Amino acid sequence: MGAAWIVYRKEVIEILRDRRTLMAIGLAAIVTPVVLGVISQVATKTATQTYTIGYTGDIPQGLGELLSATSLKLIPVSDPAAAAKAQVDLGVTFRPGEIDDYYDPTRQSAQIADTRLQTVLGQYAAAQAAAALQSRGVDPGILTPFRVNSFPLSSPIKAASNAFLSFFLPYILITMILTGGFSAALDSTAGERERRTLEGLLLTPAPRSRVLLGKIAAVTTISLVAAVAAIGSMFVALSQIALPGPSGSTHISVSPVAIPVMVWVALLIAISFSSVTLALGTFAKTFRQGQAYVTPLYFITIFPASIILFIPDFNPSLAYYLIPILNAVLVLRDAIVHNTVDWLTLGVTTLSLVATGGLSWYAALRLFTREALLTRS
Amino acid sequence: MAVERLEKTLGKNKVLRGISFAAQPGEIFGLLGPNGAGKTTTLRIISTLLSPDSGTVEVLGFDTKKAPEEVRRRIGVVTADIGVYPRLSARENITYFAQLSDVTDEELRRRVDSVIERLDIGDFASQRAESLSSGQKQKVAIARAIVHDPQVLMFDEPTSNLDVLASKEVREFMVESKDHGRCVIFSTHVMHDAERLCDRITILHEGQVVASGPTAEVRGDKRELEDAFLELVGER
Repeated sequence: MGAAWIVYRKEVIEILRDRRTLMAIGLAAIVTPVVLGVISQVATKTATQTYTIGYTGDIPQGLGELLSATSLKLIPVSDPAAAAKAQVDLGVTFRPGEIDDYYDPTRQSAQIADTRLQTVLGQYAAAQAAAALQSRGVDPGILTPFRVNSFPLSSPIKAASNAFLSFFLPYILITMILTGGFSAALDSTAGERERRTLEGLLLTPAPRSRVLLGKIAAVTTISLVAAVAAIGSMFVALSQIALPGPSGSTHISVSPVAIPVMVWVALLIAISFSSVTLALGTFAKTFRQGQAYVTPLYFITIFPASIILFIPDFNPSLAYYLIPILNAVLVLRDAIVHNTVDWLTLGVTTLSLVATGGLSWYAALRLFTREALLTRS
Repeated sequence: MAVERLEKTLGKNKVLRGISFAAQPGEIFGLLGPNGAGKTTTLRIISTLLSPDSGTVEVLGFDTKKAPEEVRRRIGVVTADIGVYPRLSARENITYFAQLSDVTDEELRRRVDSVIERLDIGDFASQRAESLSSGQKQKVAIARAIVHDPQVLMFDEPTSNLDVLASKEVREFMVESKDHGRCVIFSTHVMHDAERLCDRITILHEGQVVASGPTAEVRGDKRELEDAFLELVGER
């Protein structure tokens, strides 16, 4: 039996008997549905919530009914500007031929209510203009010199759900791969030093490269199990939870192309991360010190994933696909949103992540074979 | 086993300054010295964990620099740091090290059962190591060090964390190993143990050999080995 396989089997047994790792995997499976449930509830509540408008003056005829139909409730106040700061979501003063609109941009409810108000006022103004023209015998059609016919090339609901998945799924995938293997990687390196089992292990004739290979394979397996648990539970949750869309609530589903891409990318990230965390863990003297080394790694890696969140239309050149993690997020986004695989970007991403894993493995091996590993107390 | 003009510097500290000695099969060879004398560094070089700056070590004809894996295949090391995998049972710990030491699948069960029986581990062989006492853990550590039947056994302060009974068992095991023709290296700063067990000794002080030879010869006309040791290291 090969040394790498012996080490792999022993590491997996030990990891599966470790409560910390089992808790991480269990949390991975539980957290995602909970987060999605909360998002669904908040989104549904936001979509159906009634916002308040404090007003003075005479309400233009018919506008009150229109606002009420859009879940905007009118409440008479003495000072709309003051009321808009806390008492109500918006403040409005109706004057003949004019409407003063007061809102606090720091309040999210004020922004949503204002968007709704502007839409309603736009429709009301158009209807008033049309009625005035008609009373003068003029065809209201002159207000719309051309008609716009929209032909969406894909389902708007699907597009919205893809946009949601394109940032949520990579985020979950990366987080769970990292946190799932985090404890296992530290336990099999820094933990080995702390428990003083490392010297015994290095005294065996097994080549250190094989020992390290077995450890990386074990951590990769656990990372993937955590990721699969998280993604699997996410899809189960998505099939049960409806998110509000432009035309009623909808269930989100992932495109068939995205699934193999996701599995491939998950495998690459898991191997790469396992090597990096093992290298950092080998450098640490204790589990606690290892945690101090690895925790910043989480923030460093999650940052590129966040770019997609803040720049949804980020359209990078090929060179960006050389940046580890960002490339994985981009490839996943392309597969989810466009339902296609660009083999060139996938190839560059694969090369980049394999190189990252290889370099980290080499660094871990160098650290694993240095004398200071045993002599530095 | 032959150590020739061994030198080693760790950081800024010159730990070994050209030490030489040799140990034979069927004897307990004592490597004595105060803390910091270089005993553990010497054993780590012999067991290929550290590389010497200069000098050579040969174990059963294999040079530690040229054939480290062959050397590790033929040695067993027991230290005071009783490192066992806490979430593995005693049997799993021993089996793991047997497999890594190239014990064949056919031989594995017989070898593991044999050391479990020899070291009286049977009663707790299925228990996880985290629930074992220090003495029981030390037995597991010895079992894993000898499961591949090494011809050279090295004990580095093996009793320093053990109670009286457990220490006695370790000492008995060392004598038994010697009787079976193994070369036993015993590193300690406890002169009493060395005097009782060792056929020959080498005393290290500040990285140098200050005395070497049969135990009785090194003791000379002193009442106890400790008196001779203190004189040699300049404390008396």
